[in-house]
Amino acid sequence: MKRLTLVLGLLSLAALLAACSGATAADATPTPASSGGASSGSVVVVAKDIAFTTPQITVPAGKAFELTLDNQDGAPHNVAIYTDASASTKVSVGEIFSGPGQKTQSVPALTAGTYFFRCDVHQNMTGTIVAE
Amino acid sequence: MLAPRSALRTSDVVVRGLIVALTLATAYIHSTLGGLLFTLNAVGYVVAAVAVVVPLAIAVRFRWIVRVGLIGYAATAIVAWAVMGPYYTTAYIAKAIEVALIVTLAVDFARHDGNPFGVARRELAAFTALVSRRRSTAGAAV
Repeated sequence: MKRLTLVLGLLSLAALLAACSGATAADATPTPASSGGASSGSVVVVAKDIAFTTPQITVPAGKAFELTLDNQDGAPHNVAIYTDASASTKVSVGEIFSGPGQKTQSVPALTAGTYFFRCDVHQNMTGTIVAE
Repeated sequence: MLAPRSALRTSDVVVRGLIVALTLATAYIHSTLGGLLFTLNAVGYVVAAVAVVVPLAIAVRFRWIVRVGLIGYAATAIVAWAVMGPYYTTAYIAKAIEVALIVTLAVDFARHDGNPFGVARRELAAFTALVSRRRSTAGAAV
């Protein structure tokens, strides 16, 4: 009886650990950075070698999302979203910070359309956000 | 060719040292920003810092041009930033340093060169004399 209880206990512990580790993995990788999609309400943009490796991001229209800048450069970067390439109307401007590091900004719900983003320090670092 | 040793006062050395320190400080900040434009800007400031103190005869003779050039360079950097940004802490620090640099350069100019119009008149007279000398030399050769 004691042995059975021990086995059941170990099995329960293993199941609990598996469930916890599964949840952690899901939290750590909200969105594949390479695709730039925002299926789970968050998106990652990588800045490396004074360029964004994800020049196009697709997000659901009408839904606020979290945008994480993964700055892999030593240089300071941010993600500033504007309505168009003239960069005259701001939508969301992230904090400028030096890498390596990550910072997340909350982006308000976007109406369907194409938006422009750039690094405000290095204005040749640009990309587009498609809300659909 | 090295310039003959001139008697710099302690205050001259302090002002010149401050100019070099401010110039290298803003050069350092720009060098940390990455990208070609900022790197070239940093290199420009380092070259200017050297030109401010290098004891070459030609640099000493035309030090006023170095001063005016560096004032223009820093002022251009400030105007470009005011137009394009970005507006964040490091940028404000860099611009404050550049303003201090311009003021210090103006003080150095006033101490060594005096009235800018006087300098312009003096240089114009020197240039005219040089051209006249060349013409008379050429005429004698013919």
